[in-house]
Amino acid sequence: MLDGVDLHAAPGELVAVVGRSGSGKSTLLHLLGGLDRADGGTITVAGVKLEAQSQKGLTALRRTSIGFVFQSFHLLPELSGLENVLLPARLAGGGARAGLRTRELIATLGLADAAERLPDTLSGGEQQRLAIARALVNEPALVLADEPTGNLDGESAAVVLDLLRRIADGGRAVVLVTHDREATAQADRVIELREGRVV
Amino acid sequence: MKALLRYALARVAARRARALLAAGGIAAAAAMLGAATTVAYSLATGFDRAADRAGLPHAIARFDSLSVEDVRRRALALPNVESASFRLEKQGVHVHSEGNFNDHGKVQGIRGGRRGYAIVAGRDIRARGEIVIERGLEREWGVELGDAMDLSEFRSSITLRVVGVAVTPDNVAFPLTNGPRLYARYDDVRELVGEAPGAVNVALLWVQEPDLLDVTLAQARAASFGIDELTFVTRDGIRSLINQAAGIVIALLVAFSLVAVGAAVMMLSAASAADVQRRLRSIGVLRTLGATPRTVAGGHALEAALVALPAGIVGILAGTLAVLGPTERLLEALSELGAGAALVPPLAGCLLALVGIVALAAGWPAWRAASRPPVETLGGADLVQISRRGIFGAGTLGVGLRLTLSRPARAATTVAVLASAAAVVLLMLSLAGLLQRLETDPETVGKRYRLTVSAPVEAVPRIARLPGVAGATARYETVAADSFSLGETFELIGFAADHVEFEAPPLAEGRRITGEREVEVGLGLAQALNLSPGGTLAAQLASGEELRYRVSGVVRALENEGRVAYVGATRLARAQPFLTSTIAILISPGATKESVAAELAAIGYFAEPVVGVTVQNGGFLDVLAALLRSLAGVVGLVCLYVLAQMLALTAQERRRTIAVLQTFGAGRRHVAAVLAGSALLVATLGAACGIVLERFVVGPAAASLAASYVSLPLVAGAADAALVTGGLVALAVLAAAWVGGSAARRPIVVGLRED
Repeated sequence: MLDGVDLHAAPGELVAVVGRSGSGKSTLLHLLGGLDRADGGTITVAGVKLEAQSQKGLTALRRTSIGFVFQSFHLLPELSGLENVLLPARLAGGGARAGLRTRELIATLGLADAAERLPDTLSGGEQQRLAIARALVNEPALVLADEPTGNLDGESAAVVLDLLRRIADGGRAVVLVTHDREATAQADRVIELREGRVV
Repeated sequence: MKALLRYALARVAARRARALLAAGGIAAAAAMLGAATTVAYSLATGFDRAADRAGLPHAIARFDSLSVEDVRRRALALPNVESASFRLEKQGVHVHSEGNFNDHGKVQGIRGGRRGYAIVAGRDIRARGEIVIERGLEREWGVELGDAMDLSEFRSSITLRVVGVAVTPDNVAFPLTNGPRLYARYDDVRELVGEAPGAVNVALLWVQEPDLLDVTLAQARAASFGIDELTFVTRDGIRSLINQAAGIVIALLVAFSLVAVGAAVMMLSAASAADVQRRLRSIGVLRTLGATPRTVAGGHALEAALVALPAGIVGILAGTLAVLGPTERLLEALSELGAGAALVPPLAGCLLALVGIVALAAGWPAWRAASRPPVETLGGADLVQISRRGIFGAGTLGVGLRLTLSRPARAATTVAVLASAAAVVLLMLSLAGLLQRLETDPETVGKRYRLTVSAPVEAVPRIARLPGVAGATARYETVAADSFSLGETFELIGFAADHVEFEAPPLAEGRRITGEREVEVGLGLAQALNLSPGGTLAAQLASGEELRYRVSGVVRALENEGRVAYVGATRLARAQPFLTSTIAILISPGATKESVAAELAAIGYFAEPVVGVTVQNGGFLDVLAALLRSLAGVVGLVCLYVLAQMLALTAQERRRTIAVLQTFGAGRRHVAAVLAGSALLVATLGAACGIVLERFVVGPAAASLAASYVSLPLVAGAADAALVTGGLVALAVLAAAWVGGSAARRPIVVGLRED
């Protein structure tokens, strides 16, 4: 699926990966996030070589160093906005400090009203902002966003892209996968994939 | 059909893990069904099987010795009698063999004709000097064919060689009876007991028309002039006695099977419904391509049947083998024969029924889905109902709890199945406990005194002052007959003090006695004589005296099947002057039977411990208790299956949720914890409901089924309740670890793509 891809995202950098359906964008993101394993090559995230890690090691890495944002938000429908954001911190064993950080994050993102509500009562933009907050709660070095604006209207999409830009400016590496050329306006660098190769 | 089979086989092969999980559940349910069928069928048919093999007579007549010619003439003159055999029977014979002895042997002298017993080892007697023994004796004493057996009666004794082992279902087996049954040649027995030549006292009667046996016995009574002490025992009477005893076990097993089948059907239906939801698009495509709903449903049913058949065979075999040993021992204790190959048809029937149910449970939701317009099914799965409850925490356990509540109907059904299973397990444990308490603990049946001594009444004050003695009184016990119906005998028990302090079966109605002219009657006696408070009991004593009492109350006493009566001691002792008493002794809290027995020994009295009412049947009760406990263990397996299946369904439906959790760093432990939250909710609710169900419904119902004349404490104790709750919690954790491990191994990326 992917062949000869060479990608480096530095802290503070927002890299956009574009391409048509089937070009390998999502596969690249899954490999970077340790959700899938590459047949060959080397992937290093936060100084950790992924191919040398066991499943347990990859799980721990995702917990501490990687945050995910999905096109369809993937908020757990049974949990309130706040509980969804707090979930990765709970998985990492975060205590009261994590709770404090979560509330600060929610306040920063202007989600105080959405925090106590269940996801299906929120707008798409609110859900995606909560999903971004969830990705940030463990302060990861790398944030991976898979078509984060794909299900949003233009106004909400702009807010989300602006947010991702601010995350990168805050010192994290952000890899944004999109098929929407307009979404790349905020990126520091744009990489295009075609049939699994960088063009 | 071939295409359908090929498609079904391919689908099973492609989804091995899921098929394996379903197979495990079916095997667990089949194991329960196999176990229940084996025990219930063996018990239900055991008597008839043994009676047919033994050629048990339709009636056995016992009477004072008469010449065989006289008895034969009268018996064969009866119109319905097909054949008759005559024997000389002697009870209370001293039996000795290989270091074992018994003073209550019942030996029968065989004169030829039909036997009425089945030889199960060795051969029948052919000549003098040979003896056939009952199987219970062979097992209890370890007697082997060829061993010598000595029989003694007063000054006469004979030594016979054991040539065969027999089963006679006219009574339960030794050591449930106090003496073994033995069969020897007539001349050997006649010489042993010193009877006149030709004397017999037992007639075995076989009739042509068993339905007319009542008429035949009435004619026999009419023709019995000159025959003393004539009594009849009929084959139907023996059967009903044995069936009464086995009835509660069979009723329990029926409940047990219903739980197994109910659990299997519920979980398989839920699994099939969830599977159909997942495959709605495939079903839509098949329908678009021209497949009929029947074809689609047939494919699902066939796929399920392909999994169910081997799993059912394995489960039924496992369940049968698990209980076969205890069942055989139980049948031996009842003088019955194992079912052997006769078990195959009912077990095969169970297998077919199970496979049919599984196929139906799989085919029905598929048929319903395929009957909808294809355009709807092409749209994919119905939306999963979402819980809006926020009372639980949002940690892994809390998420699991909420996942369970998002399927309230399934959660409620699972709780109902677990509650039924927990109630059955609790009932079995409390029954097993009760059986053993009946054996060892006199308190179970209302006896509060722990020791008795044979001592004159005058010794009571001295005994009462001994250290560790809380109270002592004289207790009299004698057999009496009802003056209006002399055939109805009962035990008349008199205490010199208030009997409630010493022996107090619970009151069923009325009140306790307050004077010498009042009586509390056991419910068994009240039922037999139609007595109630305010009525009169006229007791005919062995001394010839008659005592009349006013019934003050009816008590639920287990002793002597409830045929007991409690009265004051003064009138009783006066009416029967030679009646000897024992001294009943209450033990102080903190003292032990041993310490008080030592004090009694120091003043010259030998103390006897008071035992439970069924001490002679200890072996039998142990077998029953072991059987009940092994059945309870099998029910535990079904609970594991129910929990695992529910979690597997949850994991299947919420695959994306699990994948999202994994994306944010949830490992196998976290996934298992989420599922544990789901399982713990239903397990604890199931345990709580099961405890309530057993305490207020199942326990009281089973207790009244067991014996109507007594209150049996069949309510599970705190230890049993804790054991069942702890067991269900452990099973929930085990199921969560198992299913969680499996769910966490699935590719995360695939889970994220799920609808």
